[in-house]
Amino acid sequence: MRRPRWMAAVVMPVATALVITSCGGDDSGDGDGAGGAGNNKNDTGTVSVFGTEPENPLVPGNTTETGGGKIVDAMFTGLVDYDPVTSEPRNAHAEDIAVSDDGKEMTFKLKDGWTFHDGTPVKAKNYVDAWNYTAYGPNGQQGASFFMQVAGFDQVNLPDPDGAEGPKPAPTPPAKEMSGLEVIDDLTFKVTFSAPHPIFRVKLGYPTYSPLPDSFFADPAKFEETPVGNGPWKFVSRVPGQEVLVERFDEYKGDDKGKVKNVKFSFPESADAAYAMVVDNKLDFLDTMPPSALAGNIWQTDLEGRSSSAEILSLQSMSFPLYDPKYKSVDFRQAISMAINREEITKTIFEGNRKPATGYASSKVPGWEPGACGELCEFNAEEAKKLFDKSGFTGTVEITSNADGGHKEWVDAACGQITNTLGVACKFVPVQSFGEIREKINAREMTQIYRSGWLADYPLVENFLNPIYRTGGSSNDNGYSNPAVDAKLAEADSAASEEEAYALYHEAETMIAQDMPAIPLWDNPSQFGWSTNLKNVRMTPDRELDLSYVEIA
Amino acid sequence: MTDPTIAAQADSGGSYVTALEHADGGGTGKKGKPRSLWSDAWGDLRRRPLFIIASVIILFLIVVAVFPEWFTSADPNHRDLSRSRQTPSSDALFGYDVQGQDIFARAVYGTRWSLLVGVGAAVFTVVIGAVIGLLAGYFGGAVDGFLSRVAEVFFGLPFVLGAIIILNAFRSSGVDSAFALVMMVVFALSLLSWPVAMRIMRSAAISAKQQDYVKAARALGASAWRIIFRHMLPNCLAPILVYATILLGSFIAVEATLSFLGIGLRDPAVSWGVMISDARNYIRVAPHLLLFPAGILTITVLAFVMLGDAVRDALDPKLR
Repeated sequence: MRRPRWMAAVVMPVATALVITSCGGDDSGDGDGAGGAGNNKNDTGTVSVFGTEPENPLVPGNTTETGGGKIVDAMFTGLVDYDPVTSEPRNAHAEDIAVSDDGKEMTFKLKDGWTFHDGTPVKAKNYVDAWNYTAYGPNGQQGASFFMQVAGFDQVNLPDPDGAEGPKPAPTPPAKEMSGLEVIDDLTFKVTFSAPHPIFRVKLGYPTYSPLPDSFFADPAKFEETPVGNGPWKFVSRVPGQEVLVERFDEYKGDDKGKVKNVKFSFPESADAAYAMVVDNKLDFLDTMPPSALAGNIWQTDLEGRSSSAEILSLQSMSFPLYDPKYKSVDFRQAISMAINREEITKTIFEGNRKPATGYASSKVPGWEPGACGELCEFNAEEAKKLFDKSGFTGTVEITSNADGGHKEWVDAACGQITNTLGVACKFVPVQSFGEIREKINAREMTQIYRSGWLADYPLVENFLNPIYRTGGSSNDNGYSNPAVDAKLAEADSAASEEEAYALYHEAETMIAQDMPAIPLWDNPSQFGWSTNLKNVRMTPDRELDLSYVEIA
Repeated sequence: MTDPTIAAQADSGGSYVTALEHADGGGTGKKGKPRSLWSDAWGDLRRRPLFIIASVIILFLIVVAVFPEWFTSADPNHRDLSRSRQTPSSDALFGYDVQGQDIFARAVYGTRWSLLVGVGAAVFTVVIGAVIGLLAGYFGGAVDGFLSRVAEVFFGLPFVLGAIIILNAFRSSGVDSAFALVMMVVFALSLLSWPVAMRIMRSAAISAKQQDYVKAARALGASAWRIIFRHMLPNCLAPILVYATILLGSFIAVEATLSFLGIGLRDPAVSWGVMISDARNYIRVAPHLLLFPAGILTITVLAFVMLGDAVRDALDPKLR
């Protein structure tokens, strides 16, 4: 499974009352639709976008990191995609998605007339073959676990007896194809799950679920050289370590067709170099400001009128290393949460550019119901003090974070509130770099409360909970384990309908909040900048340039 | 003594004489006897308004540093976001910073750390430099050659770069008491600045070595240590003292520079430099956050530099 990323990302208090040009309300340039076609510059021009060298060849099932992810995203369109503004999942290539009453079967009807970039039609078979290929253990595709819930997955992908790092290869699975996938006709196929899993629909916008053309199966090596997708952008060329060029696919039938002719994903050697290039208009789009640009809010002056900040699928929180006996007491953890006045910090330190968290997911996630944390995430001096006294904590509350990301201000502010409310000493312990902290977290050697930020893969609350709070989750760094929560999450994963799943996830969140293994703080926006060559720039909630919207100025 | 007028006359006469005696070097000098360099300098200094102003400021700062609680009743570390960035008022003379902390109280309590760094680093620099300089100057030859080369190595290090490297190396060592933080900065500063003091001392020692009284002492069989401490040290002290006074002021400013870069002092040793560093992002929205500590810093550095100038003029009239 693509490992969602702990965010090194940097937050900087926005000093000046910056008007966030939130993409949501700005539809002025959107209405003219084909208007972009009349613009000559769009027909010939190239937009260069900051990227990083893809880890693997551009095969969607094997691309789980952001560098290749954003290119694969552009080149392929699956059954579902996400609204670039609300991140709501909507049908893309799927004409209709039907879920059986028990939630165990999902039938996809495809739109007719879609083709791959090589002209061959996109059929149901292309999906089924691609998914089987990705899930098949010996193919070693990184996205294999995305098909875990499909019936028959355990027959094509056997667990490695000594772990992924071990010397022994995983045994050859008994089947090559998942029994849960069935082609009905050219434009229809059916998925059967081992347990009800209607929430599957929401995950489908992730590129791992893309179809692959027949040419891929005939000659994978050739495909890796010149990938053929079915998305709005067609592969042109790739210079390893430097750039990938794609051009608009004119026969594309989807709604997210591009307006400009070419898009170039460039890989400058560092974010700092990329930033300098954007300032000089040599690079058109940078999705994350490097810390050096955030310091003192330089980016706002350097990129005046061509930078912005957008909400992404990310949440800022503070985590307790639960393996340290100091933090064993639930009362203590709840007391800290209730001693922090999120409202006040977001208003003063962040100038209102953050939203206080009310649960364990970002408010950008569709279907997510706020308020799971309830009173526990609201400032309540009396209750906090009462809980704190009950916990019997002695000593100094220490909160640590990387010092290079501009976190000092808000940690200091939170510390001040903790001291004022609980009467306990509290201090910020800066650590030089994010890597240094991650090392200690991975080795389970943390002794201080630490800042943690999470960027989700797909807009589903599940992605904020399962990896972090489920026993043995891929990013469960603190050893949090509550069988009741595990059971509730499992129940939600296999709920019979999406609404039911959302309700169950909400319940799980409520249970997690009672244990308070981490304190949700606020939504974490990302700052981005662009060159003077562009107009209609906006960033999607998964931190990519909205290529269907951008135009050349 | 029953006549008040006579008593007053006698008194004023008496005090006049005492002052004169004092000017002659602690009352030991008699009329007509040549005054020492130090008493001469003191007599000179007392008449300089620059010196008096600087001394008053510095004395005041010392009192503030030692007894900050006399000047403010506010807790410098109490945070309250509801008053974040409020401008000066009768409640808080200098207003509040981003965290809602009283800037005046913080500046008052910060005096201690800023002065401590300045004084500590100046003392260390002078002690290291003076000892090595004296030894090099007195013994000469191979000793001088070796010590001078060592000094040149340190002299060759760019100051800010060197300080960044040293402080970075110690930064993650888990030092977190205020005093230890100050000592770390003091150590870094003196390690990088002693060569200048050493050179000053060395050249003074070389010229003093040629003086007759040193030769006489040696002829009488005095040991090297006795000559160095009894005869040379007192006579070489003037130039280095001048240097130290000026250095003190500049060290306070350097500490602010390093703290601004995020490698000098930090919580809990909140100096003016730390305050300036914390305030830099808010210069456009709340300039008072930066202007007050910066102003105090400027006045303090100015006072020390003025004092150093005056002392130099008095001790080393050639340079005037």
